[in-house]
This record gives sequence, C-alpha cells and structure tokens, in this order.
Amino acid sequence: MTVTFRGLIARVAAVGFLAASQATYAQEKTIKIGALFPMSGPGSYFGAQDKQGVELALEQLNKTGVNGYKFVVQYEDSSCAPLPATQAAKRLIEQFKPDVIIGEECSDATLAVMPIVEQSKVPLLNAGSSSIKVTEPGNPWTFRIMPNEVMQGVNLAENAYKRMNARNAVLLFENTNAGIGNAQVFKENFTRLGGKVLAEIGFGRDVNDFTAIATRIAGLGKIDVIPTYTLEGQGLKITQALAQAGITKGGGGDAIQIGTIWLPFGFEQKAGKAALGYIRIVQFDPTDARDVVKDFITTFKTKYNADPTHLNAHAYDQIMLIADVVKRGGKDPQSIRDGLAATKNYSGVTGSVEFDKTNQNTKMDTVHYMETKPDMSWTSLKWN
Amino acid sequence: MTTTIVLQQAINGVVFGSLYVLVALGLTLIYGVLVQINFAHADFVTLGAFAAYFFMHLLGAGYFLSIGVAFLVGAALGWLINASIFTPLRLKGNELLPLIATIGVSVMMQNLMLTWFGPIPYAFETEYSSQVIRFAGIFVSWQNIIIIAVSSVTIALLYAFMKFTFLGKALRAVSQDRETAGLMGINPNYLIMLTFVIASALAGMAGAMLAPVLVLTPFAGTSVIVKAFAIVIIGGFGNVEGTILAGLIVGLIESYTTQFLDPGLIDIVVFALLLVMLVIKPTGLIAERREENV
Repeated sequence: MTVTFRGLIARVAAVGFLAASQATYAQEKTIKIGALFPMSGPGSYFGAQDKQGVELALEQLNKTGVNGYKFVVQYEDSSCAPLPATQAAKRLIEQFKPDVIIGEECSDATLAVMPIVEQSKVPLLNAGSSSIKVTEPGNPWTFRIMPNEVMQGVNLAENAYKRMNARNAVLLFENTNAGIGNAQVFKENFTRLGGKVLAEIGFGRDVNDFTAIATRIAGLGKIDVIPTYTLEGQGLKITQALAQAGITKGGGGDAIQIGTIWLPFGFEQKAGKAALGYIRIVQFDPTDARDVVKDFITTFKTKYNADPTHLNAHAYDQIMLIADVVKRGGKDPQSIRDGLAATKNYSGVTGSVEFDKTNQNTKMDTVHYMETKPDMSWTSLKWN
Repeated sequence: MTTTIVLQQAINGVVFGSLYVLVALGLTLIYGVLVQINFAHADFVTLGAFAAYFFMHLLGAGYFLSIGVAFLVGAALGWLINASIFTPLRLKGNELLPLIATIGVSVMMQNLMLTWFGPIPYAFETEYSSQVIRFAGIFVSWQNIIIIAVSSVTIALLYAFMKFTFLGKALRAVSQDRETAGLMGINPNYLIMLTFVIASALAGMAGAMLAPVLVLTPFAGTSVIVKAFAIVIIGGFGNVEGTILAGLIVGLIESYTTQFLDPGLIDIVVFALLLVMLVIKPTGLIAERREENV
C-alpha cells in the first residue's frame, strides 16, 4: 500500500480533528434524554408533533445551557405498541445510556416499558398515557404529568351529568388499556350520579367501517352523550359516521360527542361540520393568559409557522421540567428521579406539576375543556 | 330488531364488501397468473389514495377524475416496479426471489410515503362525502353509492375482459400453462406485465375509493390488506368469481357482527370462516380446478 504525503497529512488532520471533537464532547456536560415516541403506524402523528415540541425546547435550552449542562435527545420509534416500545427502550438504555427517558404516548406501550426503566433505574417522564395502571401501582421510576384516566373520567362524567344534563350515554372506545380504562371510569361515575349507559362498543385499531357502528347506535333511540376514546384517524371516521347517521348535532341529531385527551387541535377542521358541538378535554389551552403559554405560542409559531397542539405542548413541558430538575441539581438518573419527585408547583405550558406518592401529577389545571363551534373553530369552556 | 336496521347493515356491508373486492381482485389476478403473493399490494392502494387526494386538493380536480388518475398512477407504478424489480428477479429462475422482493417493495414504499406525506392523518373529503340520502329510516351517502356503482362497473368490465377478449383468454392460458401458452405464440412476459399493470391499476383505483372512507395515512392500505388476503383464500386463490363472492360475504359479516355481536369480534369471525374454509373446502367458495382459475 502506498501513502502519498498529501494523503498522510489528510489522515493525520482527520485523526486530530476527531480527537479534538471527542475532547470537546467530553468536556461539555450533557444530560442525555431518550425519547420513546411513535414514529410509525396509526399513532405516528403523536411522534411527529412531540418531536416538534422537544426540538423547540432544546433550541431554547441549549443556547445557554442549564447549570453548565447541555441537553441531547436520542429518538426511538416505539410505535404506540408494547413490543416495539420495549425493543426501543432496551436499545436506548443499552446503547445511548440516557439520564432520563420521555414518552410513550400510548398506555399499552408505556406499561410495557415501565419494568425496563425500573430495572435499569432510569426515570421515565410520561405526558401522554392516561391508563391508571401507569401510576397505580406504578413504580418509583415512572412519573406522569398528564391527568390520568380517573382524574379525566370523573371530571368528564360529572360535567356531562351536571353541566350538560346528560342522562344517558353510549361509550365508544378502542380495545386498549387506555380505551377500556377511560370508558370504564366514565361508566362508573356517570351511573353513580344516576346516568344510564345504553351500550359499550369497543373496537380494534384495524376497524374501518364505522357506518355499521353508527347504524347500531342509531337503533338505540335518543342519546345524550357519546364519550369517545380513540386515536385521531378512527376518531375522524367515527365523528363523520355518527353525523351521517343523524345521531349527533353535526348531522342534525341531539347527541353530543365528548372525550378526553386523545385528539389534537385541527381535528375539527378535518372532521368538518360533523364535529359540531363536540366537547373534549385538551391538555393545553392556547387562550391561557400565563406568560409561559404566550411565550411558547409565539416561539412555536416563529419556528414552525403553525399553531401548537397539545402534543407539541406536553412534549415541550417534558423537556422543560427535566431542565428545571437539572437546575435544581439533577445530573444523573438517580438525582433526576429524586428531583422529579421533589417537584413542587412547577408551572408548565399545559398547567402545573406536582407529583403525589405514586408519581402522578395532582394538578387539575392541566384539564381544559373545549367545544367545537359551527364555523369549526373552538371555544374554551373554562370548566376547571 | 327492525327490518330497517337489518337492511341498513346490508347496505353498509355491500359498500365495504365492494371495496374489499376491488383490493382483493388485484391480489387474485397476480396469484392466478404468476402463482405469486404480492405483499406490496396494500402500498399500491395507499399510493393511489394519495394520488387522488393530491390531484383533487392541489389541482382542484373533481373526484371522478381523481379516481382515473389513481388508476393510471397505479398502472404506471405496477409497470415500473415489475419491469425494474420483479421481472429481472423472475428471470433468475428462483420463484422465492420476487416474493421476498414484494416485502422489500412494501417496506420501501411505506417509508417513502411516510417521508413524503408525513404521519398525520389526512381528511379526504369529496363533494359527495357529506351528502346523505335518507329514505324510510335508511341512510346512505352519495360517496357510498359511488363506491358501489364504480366497483360494480369495474368488476363487470374486468370479468368481461377475462372471459370474452383475446387478451383475457391469453391471460387465462398463461395461468393454466405458461410454457404451452408460449409455444402457442403467446408472449408470457408481456402478459405477466399486463397482469401486474391491471392489478396495480385496480389497487390504485381502490385507494381512491377507500380514501374518503378510511383514515388516509401512509399505512391506510395495510388496514384492508389482511382482509383482502382472507377474501382471496376464502374465495379460492386466483378465482375471480370466488373473490367477488367472498368479498361481499366478508363485508356483510363485518356489518352484522357489529350489529348483533361486537365490532371487536369482527376479525375472530372472519378468520374463523377462513379456517373453516381451509379445513372443509381448501379450494375456496367456488371450487374450480387450478387450471381454470383467472
């Protein structure tokens, strides 16, 4: 093998550059954040919007750093499902060695990942899974800033019965931990108040024909509310099928669809007139007058030229809460876990954060109600 | 249970059954002629759906024109992929290579579409989606009427093509015995290409029909392809009449399972039927000898 002088110089320079950059990397203190987001499959809209929120937070934090730390994120596709989520979590922990992990969105995936993070002693900060099992019994390493299905379900049932004067309901839910759990909590609390559940209709994520489901519901007589728990894609088709069958307000009927934190902003525009009167909980209220919300909306619009959704907001909050913990001394998995547990009244974009002994955020100001208006815009109901 | 609801669910079942038939026909054509399963068929459906969506929403074209565009996009893609990937692999003489290649094409197409179109569901609304006819307690949208009408005409034309035209007869000859058909002056490679083009065009067209009904994402076709495979098996691999019958039966099973049992049981009922068919009548609903298929 012959090596020219110019080639030798180039190789030496390359080795020197590599060594220099590794030295810089070693000197720069970083907090490594693993992100388990669904990037493929029916829940991939979660991942796309989460990533936007994360990137915005990183851009802001890494300008100056926090306590001398910069933040790096490694994304893994967890696909909103248990098996790919566990594989992604293992990859992250073995190869990236994160100080903290954020995600998943879907409860089934989060529940599958929880034993792995507990065993590896890496804190998991969740913002999108509602199943009660995530925190009850939960584990010491898993934290949730989102209101769980009980917090949402009790509140929704009470508002349906007391504010909307609903006396009967038909439950529509996907057959997942979160879908079934949300529906059951609503049922228990709605019936406890005196309401009646006429039907409970569960379906898989592969169901396409919602006209058949709407036909079945139409045969049940007058319905007051239809609590619906499903991802955006199926949610669109359900809303349209219910309107076509003349059941909901959007189709000239009386029933009102209600729901918890599943659907992003923009759903109304896609569903069209069928979404008229839909009342649902969102995790982020853009009309919130707090500075942290106004600043988030302004910087998000500047970066992406679009209005932020609740998914953008809760992903942003996850990173910002980690930064707050680092500011309070967090520097490795154990100290970040302890810092998260010690969080008191942290004010994020979606609302306040303070964890109870199960690591569930106890603050209800993360529950915001909105109603779809005739022009397909929405109005904040200020019920909480 | 009122007659109205039973009738309404029958309409719902026929609508979805028609869509399943459109998707399954392409699969059964390819199997009939090549004895090859095309795992990328679902992605041809999805691409057809996106072609129709963008043609309609970016260029302001009408829905019927968009269906035609999806048909042509499917045909062009079928030609391209068969010419560039499947034919060279088939010429190597190993039947397994094109089969594996269809899996590769599927994964590649899904990820390309994910990159191009993003993961957020599209709302494909046509001028007919929200127009609903109500009569004696029955409701049906114009979109669904179009689905039944276009599917019926397409299925009839395909049937006539296969039974009464020279090319159709040549295709059947190739499916019966490729070598002998070649000796009779028929160019099997040309007809294999024609099969791929027709099957892919049908898939593209099915995508345009499905998109307003399904959730339009890069994985839209995947949600129907498993049922389409089941329909092809129930109907009899490579058997056009059997596929049509099985598609309608599966559509009706879905509707009536939703009404009388639970939508969560749909797959159990459909695949139980598939297993029963495999045990008691593995040749499919309409039993024909292999050489008479397609």
